[in-house]
Amino acid sequence: MKEKQINPRKISAIKDFCCVVPALIFLAVFTYYPIVELFRISLTDWNLLNDTWNYVGLKNWKWLFAGSGTKYLWNSLRVTILYSIGELSITLIGGMIFALIFNRMTNSFAAMRAVVFMPKYVAMSSAAVVFLWILNTDSGILNYILSVFGISAVDWLGDRNTALISVLMLTGWRCIGYGMMVYLSAMMGISTDYYEAASLDGANGIQKFFKITLPMLSPTTLFLFVTTFLSSMKVFQSVDILTQGGPYRSTEVFVYNIYRYAMVDFRMDRASTVGIFFFFLLLIITVATMKISSGNVTYDS
Amino acid sequence: MSKAMSQNERNEAAKRNRKIKAAAQWILAIIVMIIVVFPIYWMLISSVKSQEEILLAIPTLWPKEFHFENYTNVLNRGNFAKYYYNTIVMTAGILVSQVVTGVFAGYGFSKGKFKGQGLCFIIVLGALMIPIQVTFIPIYIMMANWGMSDTFMGLILPVAVSPYFIFMLRQNFMAIDDSYIEAARMDGLGRVGIITQILAPMCKSALFTVILVTFTDGWNSYFWPKIIAMNEKRRVLTIGLAYLQNTFAGQETMNNHEVMAGAVLAVMPVIILFFIFQKYMLTGYSKAAMK
Amino acid sequence: MRRRMALVLAAAMAAGTLAGCSGGGSTGAAGGAAKTEAPAENAAPADPSYYEVTEPITIKWWHALEDQYSGIVDQVVTDFNNSQDLITVEAEYIGSYSKLNEALVAAHAAGTGLPAITVANTPYVAEYGAGGLTENLDPYIKATGYDVEDFGNGMLEAAKYNGTQVSLPFLISTQIMYYNKDKVDEMGITLPETWADMDAFMEAGTVKAADGSTEMYATIIPGWDQWYFETFYLNQGVKIINDDQVSTDLGGEKAIEIASKIKEWCDNGYTYWTGTADDASSNMRQNFISGKALSVVHTTSLYNNYVDQVDFEVGMHWLPGAETKNQEIGGCVVLIPSKNDQATKNAAWQFMQYLVGKDVNMTWAEGTGYMPTRKSVLETEEGKAFLEKKPAFQPIFDNLDLINPRIQHKGWSQLATIWKNSMAELIMEGGDVQEAMEMMADEINDVLGDA
Repeated sequence: MKEKQINPRKISAIKDFCCVVPALIFLAVFTYYPIVELFRISLTDWNLLNDTWNYVGLKNWKWLFAGSGTKYLWNSLRVTILYSIGELSITLIGGMIFALIFNRMTNSFAAMRAVVFMPKYVAMSSAAVVFLWILNTDSGILNYILSVFGISAVDWLGDRNTALISVLMLTGWRCIGYGMMVYLSAMMGISTDYYEAASLDGANGIQKFFKITLPMLSPTTLFLFVTTFLSSMKVFQSVDILTQGGPYRSTEVFVYNIYRYAMVDFRMDRASTVGIFFFFLLLIITVATMKISSGNVTYDS
Repeated sequence: MSKAMSQNERNEAAKRNRKIKAAAQWILAIIVMIIVVFPIYWMLISSVKSQEEILLAIPTLWPKEFHFENYTNVLNRGNFAKYYYNTIVMTAGILVSQVVTGVFAGYGFSKGKFKGQGLCFIIVLGALMIPIQVTFIPIYIMMANWGMSDTFMGLILPVAVSPYFIFMLRQNFMAIDDSYIEAARMDGLGRVGIITQILAPMCKSALFTVILVTFTDGWNSYFWPKIIAMNEKRRVLTIGLAYLQNTFAGQETMNNHEVMAGAVLAVMPVIILFFIFQKYMLTGYSKAAMK
Repeated sequence: MRRRMALVLAAAMAAGTLAGCSGGGSTGAAGGAAKTEAPAENAAPADPSYYEVTEPITIKWWHALEDQYSGIVDQVVTDFNNSQDLITVEAEYIGSYSKLNEALVAAHAAGTGLPAITVANTPYVAEYGAGGLTENLDPYIKATGYDVEDFGNGMLEAAKYNGTQVSLPFLISTQIMYYNKDKVDEMGITLPETWADMDAFMEAGTVKAADGSTEMYATIIPGWDQWYFETFYLNQGVKIINDDQVSTDLGGEKAIEIASKIKEWCDNGYTYWTGTADDASSNMRQNFISGKALSVVHTTSLYNNYVDQVDFEVGMHWLPGAETKNQEIGGCVVLIPSKNDQATKNAAWQFMQYLVGKDVNMTWAEGTGYMPTRKSVLETEEGKAFLEKKPAFQPIFDNLDLINPRIQHKGWSQLATIWKNSMAELIMEGGDVQEAMEMMADEINDVLGDA
């Protein structure tokens, strides 16, 4: 390109483009390229313990959908969805209830709100070891409190029936205050006119909640639903510290399943295959939730 | 007259209702508070107990004696001093790289004009949908090939750009009227000048909020550090704590009091930050995501 | 629009890869496994000077010895560091054997962060040997004239892969049944010699309360590691890995019969299944100490630990056999990761000789429940002296020849995990034994066929 042909607008455009280039390069290398690599690895028989690997076609996909991997794929899908339902209920329903309780605009309530919200900022690993200690079968305070009421000790993390509940306790403790804050800030945005009009019509508190508050909060609910659902699909840390997927893989959520194949069994091929599956799963969920969000929600306008 | 009476009565009833409601809110709020605060309280209390005391059949709500040496044990024997250093460097690295790339890209996508801008932005948005939990295997291999496992580079590089950060800043920069930019250009300001002297100051509070969120996310991150920096050399606090749990409270030992001391050490910086910058952090996540 | 985006993506990726590579100083290999290792064994010089340590060096030793052993670990390392000027050893506790395995394989794949020397649980020897993770020690032994003949034969064999000495025996233990001798004498119980005796023993050794709940279990068999129950299968002729190396006999009739038997004992309250949780081991030990269990199956290495914590006499009893009365080597070997540089390997070799040496070995044997590894102890007067101090070890000395190396297979650790999880699920959650065992066998076959 000859010097004189470059006009100032073009230079400006190039400079503007240069502002976004570093970010694009990083995203290409660390986000998009790995997806391509995942596909490639899923077609190999790469075991980290071996020195060499070969392309084996769709063998891993067969293993995943019609082999010994299938059982655990559905298991982890089931566990993840159960977990998601738990986290969603806690964030949405619990958050709403908390919002109603803490919905007083005084300084003391503001302080209490801050405290209830704080666990969100406590690192999951710290929270998890604290819960491990609280839930300890022999020396944990929770079993002690239960024993005061005559309930015998529960093996919270070692029993399939309570392990996921224990994980959800930890999650709930950390995210319920978040749901509350989101709902509260949305509640403040609802014009008081609606409530006054309803009062004149003789509506009581409960009616007002179901007729006004809840519908007016539906965009917020949807927002919380989408973000919580997507993040709950990626749960790993609490499971890793509390149960390591146990007992006998009954709390093995999706990401833990991938992690296990990759970093415990060192089967990079299998882990990549499940990883690709997970990628598509997230993609479908994201697109689906986006479709829903553009549909039926009440907006205040 | 009778109408006035009933009006009065109604007011009285409403006032009584409000009082009952307030009382109920207070009671429930205090119960909730106690439950929510309890794990933190239990962590703090257990962290200064002796081993005999934490293993008592009837737990004590207040330590009989204070054993602050639990903390020095964790810092020295548990090597937490090193984990602190690693966490600080890693978090700072992530913060700086995400802010720099984020601010420039945010400018480029909001105030810049170039061909394919929309497409490039779609690339950024698309990245929001691909978490590292999906892509970690190839990244891990890449890092290992580049000799970056157990290094700061390995910890930072894969998360050096945050699509979320770019997206947030773009939204905020968009809200600023172009006339400010034009005026600045007239004054001879370049891009860097416009960003640092016009855009950043005008979006101060939003920028600060995103930075705080980035900081806490970096400080509390677990998944990627666990993959790339298992070894002691570059182990961060979150991983160190899980490791401490295995070492100090494994099958044959019950040093949970020291593990609790480690947990306190790991969360303190963020909790302190939370209370100082409450205003920003309370709304941080929600406001950020709402836009 | 879509096509255009794909193009942009592809271009961005290509650009990204290039930029990334030049920035990162890549060697160009995209896949980690594509890197070719040049094993030194082809050209391993026989010249002793090649293996000498000539410059000061600090090396890392990874181990899995928990807090209770930290005193003895410190002492051994300090003694070694003081014994010579050049090498400084730093010991690092990594976690359980399986955690250590994860860390070691990850470090091997990354090629960085490897320890100079590490312990490894006995069943991992094959995995590491086959994967090229371990340094072949034969040239070292030959060149430096190290005497390996003094090690017990089975132990030395257990540290080999395909006839190559890829590790050396370090802390060796075997399965054993600890029993409360005072109670056994008092109740007049005969300890089971064979699997067929077990029913009678389980019934006689269990004490039940009026409401049918168990006050004392006859025995407890650990469920957190299949090592503790696999001999019951092996001694009854069940092939955990068939001769074809790609299938298991665990779904067969005999295996189902054994699993059903264990489940029956649990259901009857004669014993309970410990599960696989982190605290399963301490809970089991607590039951034995507090008299809630007449006996427990555990590893000999914890002998001192048990003796120190109880106020009754602890006896050791060889596990009940059947067609055979074999047991297996447990504990750990030491090995040198192959991707280290030669200077590190040489220093590690020096430290290794010290670690597995007779003096250090006897320090462990006396301070813990690990076994003497040397023929010159086991078969001589020294052994008698040792037995005088620890008479409970008599059954082990009597049966030394019956302690076999572990089954060596690359898929072993995956097999072991599947097995112990299936057993725990089957016994604790209930269900049909045959169905569960057959399903488990299918899964194991898949792992074995694919390893």
